[in-house]
Amino acid sequence: MMINFSNVTKIFKSDLLAQQFTALDCVSFQVPEGSMVGFLGANGAGKTTSLKIIMDFIRPTSGEVQFGQTLGASKLEIRKNLGFLPERPYFYPNLTGEEFLYFMGALSEVSRNDIARELGYWAPRFRVDHALKRELKTYSKGMLQRIGFLATILHHPKLIILDEPLSGLDPIGRKELKDVIIEVHRRGKTVFFSSHIVPDVEEICDRVIFLKEGKLVYDGSVNALLVNEQERDFVVHVRGGHELSKIAKTTVALPDGVHRYIVPAPVKDQFIGEAMGSGGNVFSLELVKPSLEEIFYQTQGRR
Amino acid sequence: MTIIKIRTIAYYTFRELFKSKILLNVFFFGLGLVVVTYVATEFTYGVPERVALDFGLGMLSLSSLAISLFLGVNLLSKEIESRTVYMVIARPVPRYAFIIGKLLGLLGIQVLNVLVLSALTLFSTALLGGELSSILFWTIGFILLESLLMLFSVVLISLLANSILSVLFAVVLLILGHAVKETQGLSFVENNPVLRASLDFYHFVLPAFHKLNLKDFVIYKKSLPLDYLLPNLAYGLTYSLGLLLLIVFLFQRKNLD
Repeated sequence: MMINFSNVTKIFKSDLLAQQFTALDCVSFQVPEGSMVGFLGANGAGKTTSLKIIMDFIRPTSGEVQFGQTLGASKLEIRKNLGFLPERPYFYPNLTGEEFLYFMGALSEVSRNDIARELGYWAPRFRVDHALKRELKTYSKGMLQRIGFLATILHHPKLIILDEPLSGLDPIGRKELKDVIIEVHRRGKTVFFSSHIVPDVEEICDRVIFLKEGKLVYDGSVNALLVNEQERDFVVHVRGGHELSKIAKTTVALPDGVHRYIVPAPVKDQFIGEAMGSGGNVFSLELVKPSLEEIFYQTQGRR
Repeated sequence: MTIIKIRTIAYYTFRELFKSKILLNVFFFGLGLVVVTYVATEFTYGVPERVALDFGLGMLSLSSLAISLFLGVNLLSKEIESRTVYMVIARPVPRYAFIIGKLLGLLGIQVLNVLVLSALTLFSTALLGGELSSILFWTIGFILLESLLMLFSVVLISLLANSILSVLFAVVLLILGHAVKETQGLSFVENNPVLRASLDFYHFVLPAFHKLNLKDFVIYKKSLPLDYLLPNLAYGLTYSLGLLLLIVFLFQRKNLD
């Protein structure tokens, strides 16, 4: 286990007169070693607060965060093996990209030679090699995000935590960054990243954690969510036989005596039996797979 | 290892500030200093070197305090606002190393400012026939110490209040810290035990900036006894160290949200 986020509650109270606000309400989840975990939730769900608590930037009102033994025993040791990229970072505008990366590398105890070698590999991949000598204030938002990610992986951390790494990027930039995240994950790194862009999480994550209004809604594998959380339907094509509209949700008559039925999963077998019993030929059966996004919004609405 | 990290943070903080417009301010202050000194000496009969010195030290003190005030107040709030602090302390860097490194970096700019402006002041004084006595160098050192005290005060307040309030509180502290001695000497205060006790308490607890002000002596004296200078030097250094410890203590516990 890389992160054990256990019964964490965070209550904010800006001043004595202000009403208190519960940002996290007894939230528990775990990030397994070697996994790629997406942290989903609408704006204000408590994702960034959770990440700040994990990183010890803010303290929880109650509960605790533990890290796996593989990261190290002491706080500083853990941080040597951890890479963190905050949401929409601006960095130091007057430093050049290269200076910033050397600065970050030095703090993570990477030698100058190693930093140079890493830059030689990653900078062209991130398409920032041409801009390394330029001041960061001249960088576009996408370039800043890429430089930030480069700084995050420069020291080969075992655990990478990213807060909305894909927000603000154009589709090409998102694709590039996703490819690099996948590559880094394939090298054995555990990746935990928050996002409100559901398809991105669905595309690259094997696990997903949902937060809604400071409460945990789901923690498990993406596939389990797709399989279990949805009352799935099947699309069945039947040629011949008489119409079986009583069981099916919808029925569409197609040319050549073919009917297309949308059948709820629990009655699928019964439907096929009846279709065949009526002399029909079931020649196609297809599972309707909802996207994580659909489930996400249904879950948001339902709970 | 931590010392190397403090040095790294200080170096890049200095570099970041060095490349910002702050040095332009130093340049314009320097230019202004030369021009004002020249103009003032033209209007003075007999003692142009003293006028040059007065203007030079005044400008030096003003610019140092301004740097402390305006860079100090943003030192942490800007880091949190732009989330750069997260990039740094997410690494194996203790929080105290971060804050000490930042303060040292800013102090580097302060030293540079003092070096440039004091060199100009000393140069114009020497050019106009003034004597470069030891008290001059003590005064410049005390101006640096005063700006250090101011820097630590404003950073400490900025950990507890927002930027505007921090600047206001710090300016009030500076004014009171200079005025408290004169006020204590007023017969009205001397005759009022409650007022006297509160001023004594203030003097004891809050920074007494007047102890670091040698500018009044420098025009008329060539030297000051060490038994006056050393206790005040010790006061400035001890008070600054105390503030630094308090800053570190608060920053270690601060919620960075």
